[in-house]
Formats: sequence, C-alpha cells, structure tokens
Amino acid sequence: MNSAKHHEIACNIERSLAKCGPEDVEMRIEAAMLAATHWLNAALHDIGANPPDKDVMHTYMLTINDFRRLSLPDPRLLAMLAEIEDIRPLYVRGDAPGGREAADRACGLLDRIREMALRASAAR
Amino acid sequence: MNIASHLEKIRRLQSLRGRLQPLEDFELWFWSTMTAGTHAVNAALHDAGVTPQESAFPSQPGVYLVDDGAGGHAPALRAAGDVLHVGRPPIAAPVPRDVQDMMDAMEIIESYRDPCVRDGLVPTPEIVDRCDTAYRRCMDALERRLPESAA
Repeated sequence: MNSAKHHEIACNIERSLAKCGPEDVEMRIEAAMLAATHWLNAALHDIGANPPDKDVMHTYMLTINDFRRLSLPDPRLLAMLAEIEDIRPLYVRGDAPGGREAADRACGLLDRIREMALRASAAR
Repeated sequence: MNIASHLEKIRRLQSLRGRLQPLEDFELWFWSTMTAGTHAVNAALHDAGVTPQESAFPSQPGVYLVDDGAGGHAPALRAAGDVLHVGRPPIAAPVPRDVQDMMDAMEIIESYRDPCVRDGLVPTPEIVDRCDTAYRRCMDALERRLPESAA
C-alpha cells in the first residue's frame, strides 16, 4: 500500500477515534495501534526503508533482522508502536486497573508517530 | 479474564459500536465488532468449562500476562486461556455446539479483518451486512447461554 493510502486510512481511523469517550478504553488503544501502524508504514515507505508492497502488521511479527533494519532510520518509530502494542494485553484483552491512563498514553504515542510520519512525507 | 469482565467490555464496545457509522467509521466499527465478538466467545468458552476464568491476559498464543506478585504483570506460558482471535490459538478440547457456532460466526467477521482494515479493500454495504449478521448471531448465542449478557 502506498503512503498516501496509509495516510488516508490513518486519518479515517483518527476521525472515528474522535468519537470515542474517555471510557472507551479498548477502542482508543486499538485505534491508536491501527492508525499508528498505518503512519509507521507510510513513514517507512517515504524514507525508502520498505517498498509499498511490504507493510508491517505488528512489530512483534517482524523478524529480528527486519526489526533491526527498520529501526535504523529512527528507532523511535518502531519503539513507540511496540509500546502501544504492549498496552493491549493488559487493557484491551485484560481488565488491569488504569485503563484510561493507558489509553491516554497510547493516543499520545499516536500523536508523536503521526508527527514523525508527516515529517518524513514532507521531506520526501 | 473472568466472565463478568468480558461482559463489561462487551457492553462498553457495544455502546461505542452504536455511536459509529458502519461505513463512514468502518475500521473502528469493524474492530469494535470483532473485539466484542471475541470477548463473547471467551466468555462462552469459560462458561462451558473449556477455558479457565483467570487473571491471565493473552499477549500471543500460549503466552499470558499474569500477576507478578509485586503489583505488576509478567509473561507466563499457559496451555489454555482466552483466545486473541478465534483460532489463535486453536481450542484443542471439545467445544459445545452453540459455542462452535459463535466461533464460526466470528470466522466470517475475521475474514474481513486484514483485507478491509490493513490492505485497503473498500468496505461495501454487503460487507457491513455480513459482519453485522455474523455479530448478531454470535451475540444471540451468548445471550442464550448467559442471559445476563443482555443487560
């Protein structure tokens, strides 16, 4: 998928995310994960790290070789998506206390990933 | 997770699902549908005694986050527990017919996950209708097994 399409889907997910209330912990985290993954893929295409026909689904499904290679341009991108992914077991699939704060954290990471992706797009 | 927590999550997800437009908000509408349905399957599997009710949250098939005794969580191996998605991991034990039907309905929903949410397949009213019909089939079965889920 090319970076423009990733941008379009990420923006659509974020428009839906805006309809969530603070209590919608699970979908705020999931929306952050989904949109951030699209932003990450767009950035990886824009900086030439991955071709449009190669997308990351989850960081934990990457081979160690690919994780290292894709972290080279800027390790923060993959690390921030991995942090969002790590929030999911406890608060989307689990009922650990502190879900609202975890969702806030996921959305904050999404903001930073989007910002980096847009910078990569502008620099292309 | 225990049944009560699964049901609480389903209620929250259903509330949001009702506020989203299926086509306009497809990605999140779909994801809330799939997530609520998966919680329904997990609640039904617990009720049927197929998987245990416990504070163990799946991070990948066979690996669960459990209480580490120090106020946090740590990964641990578990043979059975909540599924992440229907089929992940597969259920090795016999499953009652009504729960199997819920899982079959969820497979219909899951078949649209990557094509529509990750790969750019444009959702259509027919896809929405198929997902919604499968979701209702899953939730109706849960309500028959656990009438409190309708509350």
